[in-house]
Amino acid sequence: DCTWQVKANDRSFHEQPHFMNTKFFCIKESKYANNAIKTYKYNAFSFLPMNLFEQFKRAANFYFLILLILQAIPQISTLAWYTTLFPLLVVLGITAMKDLVDDVARHKMDNEINNRTCEVIKDGRYFTKWKEIQVGDIIRLKKNDFIPADILLLSSSEPNSLCYVETAELDGETNLKFKMALEITHQYLQRENALTTFDGFIECEEPNNRLDKFTGTLFWRNTSFPLDADKILLRGCVIRNTDFCHGMVIFAGADTKIMKNSGKTRFKRTKIDYLMNYMVYTIFVVLILVSAGLAIGHAYWEAQIGNNSWYLYDGEDYTPSYRGFLNFWGYIIILNTMVPISLYVSVEVIRLGQSYFINWDLQITTTLNEQLGQIHYIFSDKTGTLTQNIMTFKKCCINGQIYGEWNTSKGMSLAPEKDPVDFSWNMFADGKLAFYDHYLIEQIHSGKESEVRQFFFLLAVCHTVMVDRIDGQLNYQAASPDEGALVSAARNFGFAFLARTQNTITISELGTERTYDVLAILDFNSDRKRMSIIVRTPEGNIRLYCKGADTVIYERLHQMSPTKQETQDALDIFASETLRTLCLCYKEIEEKEYEEWNKKFMAASIASTNRDEALDKVYEEIEKDLILLGATAIEDKLQDGVPETISKLAKADIKIWVLTGDKKETAENIGFACELLTEDTTICYGEDIKTEEERRMRTQSKRRLEARKEQRQKNFVDLACECSAVICCRVTPKQKAMVVDLVKRYKKAITLAIGDGANDVNMIKTAHIGVGISGQEGMQAVMSSDYSFAQFRYLQRLLLVHGRWSYIRMCKFLRYFFYKNFAFTLVHFWYSFFNGYSAQTAYEDWFITLYNVLYSSLPVLLMGLLDQDVSDKLSLRFPGLYVVGQRDLLFNYKKFFVSLVHGILTSMILFFIPLGAYLQTVGQDGEAPSDYQSFAVTIASALIITVNFQIGLDTSYWTFVNAFSIFGSIALYFGIMFDFHSAGIHVLFPSAFQFTGTASNALRQPYIWLTIILTVAVCLLPVVAIRFLSMTIWPSESDKIQKHRKRLKAEEQWKRRQVFRRGVSSRRSAYAFSHQRGYADLISSGRSIRKKRSPLDAIIADGTAEYRRTVES
Amino acid sequence: MKRISEDYQSRLPDNTALKQQQLPAYRLQLSATGVLSGFFAAGAFCLGMGIILILSAKSIKEIEVKYTKICANCAELREDATNFDKECTCSIPFYLSETMKGNVYMYYKLYGFYQNLYQYILSRSNSQLLGTDLKDVGNCAPFSNSHDGTPIAPCGAIANSIFNDTIILSYNLNSSIPIEVPMLKSKITWWTDKYVKFQNPSSINLSSAFAGTTKPPYWSKPVYELDEEDPGNNGFLNDDFIVWMRTAAFPTFKKLYRRLNRIQYFIEGLPAGNYSLLIFDFPVTRFKGEKSVVLSTLTWSGGSSLFLGLAYTVTGAVTWLAAFSMMAIHLMLKKKKMLFIQD
Repeated sequence: DCTWQVKANDRSFHEQPHFMNTKFFCIKESKYANNAIKTYKYNAFSFLPMNLFEQFKRAANFYFLILLILQAIPQISTLAWYTTLFPLLVVLGITAMKDLVDDVARHKMDNEINNRTCEVIKDGRYFTKWKEIQVGDIIRLKKNDFIPADILLLSSSEPNSLCYVETAELDGETNLKFKMALEITHQYLQRENALTTFDGFIECEEPNNRLDKFTGTLFWRNTSFPLDADKILLRGCVIRNTDFCHGMVIFAGADTKIMKNSGKTRFKRTKIDYLMNYMVYTIFVVLILVSAGLAIGHAYWEAQIGNNSWYLYDGEDYTPSYRGFLNFWGYIIILNTMVPISLYVSVEVIRLGQSYFINWDLQITTTLNEQLGQIHYIFSDKTGTLTQNIMTFKKCCINGQIYGEWNTSKGMSLAPEKDPVDFSWNMFADGKLAFYDHYLIEQIHSGKESEVRQFFFLLAVCHTVMVDRIDGQLNYQAASPDEGALVSAARNFGFAFLARTQNTITISELGTERTYDVLAILDFNSDRKRMSIIVRTPEGNIRLYCKGADTVIYERLHQMSPTKQETQDALDIFASETLRTLCLCYKEIEEKEYEEWNKKFMAASIASTNRDEALDKVYEEIEKDLILLGATAIEDKLQDGVPETISKLAKADIKIWVLTGDKKETAENIGFACELLTEDTTICYGEDIKTEEERRMRTQSKRRLEARKEQRQKNFVDLACECSAVICCRVTPKQKAMVVDLVKRYKKAITLAIGDGANDVNMIKTAHIGVGISGQEGMQAVMSSDYSFAQFRYLQRLLLVHGRWSYIRMCKFLRYFFYKNFAFTLVHFWYSFFNGYSAQTAYEDWFITLYNVLYSSLPVLLMGLLDQDVSDKLSLRFPGLYVVGQRDLLFNYKKFFVSLVHGILTSMILFFIPLGAYLQTVGQDGEAPSDYQSFAVTIASALIITVNFQIGLDTSYWTFVNAFSIFGSIALYFGIMFDFHSAGIHVLFPSAFQFTGTASNALRQPYIWLTIILTVAVCLLPVVAIRFLSMTIWPSESDKIQKHRKRLKAEEQWKRRQVFRRGVSSRRSAYAFSHQRGYADLISSGRSIRKKRSPLDAIIADGTAEYRRTVES
Repeated sequence: MKRISEDYQSRLPDNTALKQQQLPAYRLQLSATGVLSGFFAAGAFCLGMGIILILSAKSIKEIEVKYTKICANCAELREDATNFDKECTCSIPFYLSETMKGNVYMYYKLYGFYQNLYQYILSRSNSQLLGTDLKDVGNCAPFSNSHDGTPIAPCGAIANSIFNDTIILSYNLNSSIPIEVPMLKSKITWWTDKYVKFQNPSSINLSSAFAGTTKPPYWSKPVYELDEEDPGNNGFLNDDFIVWMRTAAFPTFKKLYRRLNRIQYFIEGLPAGNYSLLIFDFPVTRFKGEKSVVLSTLTWSGGSSLFLGLAYTVTGAVTWLAAFSMMAIHLMLKKKKMLFIQD
């Protein structure tokens, strides 16, 4: 299936007709993408039509467009056209502005990337922009360059055609990886003229998203060479430690693996968005039914009364049923306020405002705020998110004696010394290590215990770290941060690793430089869990130094090895402090023994089959009867406040899953460190479950495999969701996203993904809410996230305070909004029974236009922005308050219907009490004020007072702004009404303002005021009573907390529960080491580099993931 | 890491009360004392108000005389358009058992007359009624222009269907010669209507002012002949016309027709005794409804309707009931010590 053909230095080759795909009618495009990336959506011309089109795809906007058209038909129109057009324009305008700003930002970013320069070799060298690079080009990359496309490495400046790359953007791992070109290309393609005439032809697989797989063949000089992923430099990586290298572009732009890996940017919607949409559909159905009912009523009324009333003659000769049909549309128009157009804008405004509030508190970017109050699952990256990815040498145990902070409490030093050890005596110290145990330094200097020096010598010699000197400064390049930390520690303590060649290693031992012959490096791998080095000292002794996991080392110790028990105790202490440990040991080797072993070793290393196993066996022979030196303890520094945050979130019933590419041990260690796992947690490992699953799998026929796969995924989710915490290790970026997707799909729960690296981007995009940590691993996670901040611990404030508030606010807002529009609109419905179902409105047109915009909008917006049921401190203190959001308690169909019923009842009261009052009454001056206009004013006044007082009741956090807005809205209503009813405005616009004098005449009457007061009282008193009763009888958590607010404030200084539980006699191993294989193969060059172990296959794809679950005991 | 934290420091948001959501606020909480005392107070207010309203409504004297059936003959006569100029009066005697003291108002009341129909309410031209532009017949269709295209003044369905019965109340003092009760036809409209919304076009005399317009099809005389004795009550300024143009909210409504002129026998009001209504029925009457005449006195609280008073009384009673039951529940639950949630 190698159908992707690339020819070097031949652009025209890729433009041959059979590579063209028809894209759009007759416009053809090459299947080879160019290197320009495009993430923006619109350009200057397409913005307006496309944006409008997208906006009208939203049901609500389309609905209002239809309404607008209906209103333009004179037979139907029952409301002035401006009542809909104006708000619609505002809505479209605001959304378009927002989209525009977003897209401009994307344009800028694309431009920045596309215009980066890169050196292309073609008829000489020249610089070109990234976007102009094409498949088949030969490019030259220098140290610290970003790789612009997926490239086949041809040659490099380093020996053995090596090229080091940093893949942080791709997989989040910060350690260096090496790539190696084909020998033949490396050899012949060093010079420019050779490169320009290079005419290799490559056939390989089509572009795909698998970062660690590549198969292809290079045809050159009539020979074919196999190509694999080790020869490919991927876009997004950075060249390190390599002066320059040359490569040939294979995949460009959208075909590159990183682009193929970037999931589609989906438009994220919150759960409430969906719910709201369904509710709007419900209302819409209600609207149609009500309008149809009223239309039938009108047809009937026409037949019975209307047709027989001479005074109603309107010159048209319509049948009653046709009139009913026209009235149907008329009612659709006047009742349209049931589906409130300003709802969507208001929701957007509230979200924006809430974002600002969150932003003012933390550093956050966009708007899914209320969803933050409903999180069920958090998926967290480990490195850089939970941990700082900084390894520090914390403690050590030498010859049974523990050094580190521990010492101060032992009485060896008089006062607790808090000042760090001074390393200035050491010219190689990098000044980065903070160590507090002065006694250890004394020991090193005095040399009383030879083991102490031996210990650090071992650290300086037994590793695969590469070194280079920049301006005389030593610069270590380690395959894993752990190893880097150990070598740096040794350097600081006076045993600096200075240089290495293929066969030697140079160490500065307390100032004296000595060079050792390296006889063999027995490299690390995850099965061996140890590495050894055999060196010959200048004196001629042969020694083996070994470091590794306690379990494997202890098995290989000499029976008489000293301080076994003391070291074991120390290891336990380190383990309970969640430090990562390694045991160090050595042994003297007789010359003869070495010679013998070396023969076997040589034989094994050239074995053609099963070389790895053969080597392992040989290694095993020499790594025995070791003498224990001690143990190191490294701290994988957690971010600040991680354990507290995790325990808070756990109490809020949020489940936390850690998804990491790390190994099991490392992941487990971190699980303990951040208290995701505790001593009382039962840990279940995924492999145990997996094997059983697999066995069952094999019995299934292939036909049912697909169904089985789904079942298995479901089982996985069900199983994992029962656990209090889940840690998935060795997962790839794609798998991270798939795990999130599985939980989303099968649990229907709201998920949040948090991560900092490019490897988390997929997960962040997949989850309902993506949070980016702006950390060390670049900004890619932040760019694709919905929220971003600097520390994991801000998550608790984001969720427990802001998320909860936002959720409560949004729910209250929506409930009130539906209530207020129903109370407002349904008055028309009741009135229609008294006006021949003629679509007569119960209010003045101006009132209808302004009701949602001016008279009732500000208080509810402010509540949506400012309301808080309990303060932030209490929200953090009682994480249990968070569950209302998870369970959708505050806004669901039930609450929606309660709001509707409340609205309907309010509208009935608003209509029927004034009706009763008007039927028989007589004005103060004898006139009969049962006229339509006075009636409209009475209802409108009662409505405004009722809904504004109602929002007052709903607001639990009354600031002066709220008070001002509520009374301001009422005052504004009366002010505007008196203006619109004034004589002057009528004389100017007699047909637009018809209610002249109504306000002043009607509101002069005491009985109209009595009517308004009674209406408002009847609307609100039952609400107060029901609230009070439900608070008294079934108080919610937040009610209780609010009630005891004062008492709680008094005991402000509450004791935080001691979260660290230590000293439990656990014997678990704290061994953890974050890398697989070191650079030993490179160091002892000449041997070809075997393929690195690829990450396990997808959990999802074949169900063989290594996941681990823990069950609370 | 250091870089990041410095970065964060420099972008640290303002520490203002608004931005940190720490605005001073009153936390609204429904406390038992507040709610209960509020309810008792509201209940007391409602009960008191209800009783006052009922008492004041009871003090009103009101009599309603329906005349649809009695005057049916006249109505039938008018069915035939050729008889439009024939006079037809019907007289309805009634007995007033008690004296109506104070100001007495006479209303006409219509049952089942849909003045609130959407298309009907629209059918008027406010700018025409302002007297500035008689030819502006805006929404008045089909009563905007006559067949020959002359604009109708006043145009529209509302004006066309004006209530044009003439009602005369006579007092039979000695069961011999009836005395016509003196009535005033002024000051029966809102000031704003009479002086803002309705204005005659300015001209030397009214008939020339309305030149170029024609009367509504159902009217028997043009608008400038509505009250030829009083120029202040003629044309668009005619009080009966203005009252009619203020459309009613419901199909059953009454509109003020005349006020009692308290002179002679009627200084105190309407004495008890026999009365009769003399109705001059004008052509257009047929609709599926009823007509009546209402005579009523007044108080501060409006008409004789008991609705508001009763509603207040009921609300007050229910509020008190609710207050008592809430108090009972509150006291009952207060005894049980409420468990407070644990940290």
